Amino acid sequence: MPTEFKLPDVGEGVAEGEIVAWLVSEGDTVEEDQPVAEVETDKAVVEVPSPYDGTVKELHYEEGDVVPVGDVIVTFNVEGEDDLDAAPERDETSAADADADTETADAASAASSGSGRTFAPPSVRRLARERDVDLSTVSGSGPSGRITEGDVRAAAESGEESAEASAPKSAVTKVSEEDEKSAASAATNEKAASAEPVEAAGREKTLAAPATRRVAEELGVSLDDVPASEEREDGAFVSEAAVREYAEAQQAAQAADTAEVRSGDADGESGEREERVPYRGVRRTIGKQMAESKYTAPHVTHHDTAVVDALADVREELKPVAEERGFRLTYMPFIVKAVVAGLKQHPYLNSQLDEENEEIVLKNYYNIGIAVATDAGLMVPVIKNVDEKSIPDIAAEMRDLIEKARDRSISREEMQGGTFTLTNFGAIGGEYATPIINYPETAILGLGALEERPVAEDGDVVAKETLPLSLSIDHRVIDGAVAAEFANTVQEYLENPSMLLLE
Amino acid sequence: MVVGDVSTGTELAIIGAGPGGYVAAIRAGQLGLDVTLIEKDAWGGTCLNYGCIPSKALITATDVGYEADTAEEMGIHADVKVDVDQMTTWKDGVVDQLTSGVEKLCKANGVNLVEGVAEFESENKLRVAHGGDGQGSETIEFENAIIATGSRPIEVPGFEYDGEHVLSSRDVLDLDRVPESMVVVGGGYIGMELSTVLAKMGCDVTVVEMLDDILAGYEEDVTSVVRQNAEDLGIDFRFGEAASDWEKRDGDIVVTTENEDGEEFQYATEKAFVAVGRQPVLDTLNLDAIGLEPNEDGHLETDKQAQTDVAGVYAIGDVATGPMLAHKASKEGQVAAEAIAGEPAALDYQAVPAAVFTDPEIGTVGMTEQEAEDAGFSPAVGNFPMRASGRSLTTGNDDGFVRIVADEDSGFILGAQIVGPEASELVAELGLAIEMGATLEDVAATIHTHPTLSEAVMEAAEHALGHAIHTLNR
Repeated sequence: MPTEFKLPDVGEGVAEGEIVAWLVSEGDTVEEDQPVAEVETDKAVVEVPSPYDGTVKELHYEEGDVVPVGDVIVTFNVEGEDDLDAAPERDETSAADADADTETADAASAASSGSGRTFAPPSVRRLARERDVDLSTVSGSGPSGRITEGDVRAAAESGEESAEASAPKSAVTKVSEEDEKSAASAATNEKAASAEPVEAAGREKTLAAPATRRVAEELGVSLDDVPASEEREDGAFVSEAAVREYAEAQQAAQAADTAEVRSGDADGESGEREERVPYRGVRRTIGKQMAESKYTAPHVTHHDTAVVDALADVREELKPVAEERGFRLTYMPFIVKAVVAGLKQHPYLNSQLDEENEEIVLKNYYNIGIAVATDAGLMVPVIKNVDEKSIPDIAAEMRDLIEKARDRSISREEMQGGTFTLTNFGAIGGEYATPIINYPETAILGLGALEERPVAEDGDVVAKETLPLSLSIDHRVIDGAVAAEFANTVQEYLENPSMLLLE
Repeated sequence: MVVGDVSTGTELAIIGAGPGGYVAAIRAGQLGLDVTLIEKDAWGGTCLNYGCIPSKALITATDVGYEADTAEEMGIHADVKVDVDQMTTWKDGVVDQLTSGVEKLCKANGVNLVEGVAEFESENKLRVAHGGDGQGSETIEFENAIIATGSRPIEVPGFEYDGEHVLSSRDVLDLDRVPESMVVVGGGYIGMELSTVLAKMGCDVTVVEMLDDILAGYEEDVTSVVRQNAEDLGIDFRFGEAASDWEKRDGDIVVTTENEDGEEFQYATEKAFVAVGRQPVLDTLNLDAIGLEPNEDGHLETDKQAQTDVAGVYAIGDVATGPMLAHKASKEGQVAAEAIAGEPAALDYQAVPAAVFTDPEIGTVGMTEQEAEDAGFSPAVGNFPMRASGRSLTTGNDDGFVRIVADEDSGFILGAQIVGPEASELVAELGLAIEMGATLEDVAATIHTHPTLSEAVMEAAEHALGHAIHTLNR
């Protein structure tokens, strides 16, 4: 007998998920607990396991569809139960009917329940017929969801709009399909177009002869990105030939890109002028949270620059020690520590506004969120109780969490409970920004690129390692003066890292 | 073509001028179609001539007499004399007035009326044979046709209607005197309505029913009120018996019945009235000529616009699937006519009400509690007993109840079962409620006139909401 499998509750409070990928196909045999789909919720991508042993009879959604929790996503033929439908020749008509039924049921409004009954007065039903509206797809705004004349008119209009909206899109497709010119121009660029860029190796350390290093510099490639010619004891070794080959591949790829852009410009029709990317999952969650934060908390951003020569020295000094102990020491654990020191002295920066009770909640624990750019978008893993942890502990935990965020295996719990957030846009480049507070927190510190910059010192301009700081605060809770004081404290610690020993 | 045939053309040919066919004809005429309405017997069909109207006329007449005769409690002492001839004349007058009204309305709407028996000759031709020798026939070419031939009583083998000893409902409605005794075969609504009439007129009635209750399809608490009253009228019920034979004896007859175990029973009676149901009339139509076939139940399957599997051929009323009810036929006729005229009509009613004119009456619409549950609703049910209704008590009839079935979650009214005085009228309000998607609150919050029976409807809705005033909220 076919058994319906509904999208399970994939996380607390998660109402829907996007089917990112099916891991099985119709007709596949599956075992209990075997993952059947990857589902992206607003928090993470999770694998949904099969609850049955059996075969997949039908997948009810396409990849990319957003499915409410509780909707049937797969029909299984469960082992040990008879199934007349398992005959090899599928009845396409009945399958289509079943789909249609499902869709109707999905779309069914509050005004229909039981046997799919629709509650609407006869005059409204007539209007629906006149306007060619399927009442079972209309949600009613009347009492108990009764469908009104207005609902039908709105449904009819939205139907017309969507029909209009889809028309130009299909026209574009048609033009691009028919356009032989674009195919021809693509052919002339065939060589370039086929050149795929070689993926950058992205190592931290690369062995190479000095001559090779010079060639790399001339060709503008980073040795760390060149695929290794051989692996030596001390690390990857790159030959001059490998550097030249890598540089050529990159240039070819770049040329292909340029050609593609140019041919697009020249023809204007060789590709779609616009691409629509679904606003879903993590992206949509980020969007919602950003909007809520920005429009709830009046943001003020305080900018400052810390001169961190001393910190750079300390890090250089400790780096080998850390490596011996098996971890890579970055600036972040120091900054996290400095921030916590600042938060302890300025508790309003580590707070939350309880609007309902009209109270500011000052938090005596320090859970620092670290904003991480991932392929899917921004995620904020949280290092808990930072004040109780050492710099090596923080470094190790941060590395684990960031990895998990990037490969999307991070749990909801690991992204909850933050009291203050750090965002390191400087890792990519740039000096100042206006970070948006990770609401309902009340402050966020953005870090620019730590670089040598000119600093005036005793009437002279000297080069110093500097760290630009951008501190956004919820001005309802924190005044500009308090923000500045906090920034000063953090700077003080960053500029005198030995003070961190006292923390 | 038969020699002497006259051939005419029409946009819409309607076969049968009952409450389905004539309504379709008038509506189609209103919409500007050229319509030909063909009737073999009498304008208005069974309903007006041999069914609803004459039976209701007799029911009312006998009620008047019966109530006058039994109103001693109210201080009325009457010596009621029934003049059956006069009653029949009055009834026939009512029927005549209505049927001539139908004829006039049809003509006024430009409908061509043709008398005769129609059969299909091809997909766009009907042949209509006019009654009697030498009357000839005519061929009607149509663009669309509506089959509205209705139904006829089912005969029980061995009990062929002879109009003298074995009667059909039509014969009973045409009796010129009240028989001494009557065996009624079948406890369905026709059997029960006419049994009640006969019993009230002093006939000794025995109802033989194969099943173990009357009015199959109605809930037990509904039928029990009617059965109890019928027994009080002196009607004798024989359940679990089927009529198997009859014979003449001493000017009267003896009806033999058999139970499941083969045991035989005999009832001496003046006449037998067979009322075991009705069957669609499709055998006269030569449906083969258009490639149409009835389903297993003998009905024609139709779509939401009453169209059959053959394009342009529609079926309405008793020949179409669904309950055999005049008002359902009329609605289908309207929809078919509008569909043919190109209007966006559809049979999308939510419920078909039904009434039984027993004593007391039964009026039902939509779902029972069980049906609502089966359909996936969680039913909320409200009851109001007629004995708690002031108006009911003042009529001297306080048997029965109003029951409303609604969806507990949304409050939408799904159905109602009413037994009691004027139940056939009271049910209309709840039919409207269902069609409007009204909730219990809508009905409960509507002021109902006092003192009327309709207050019982409001009270039942309040009861379902847990705040009935005149009955205990349980």
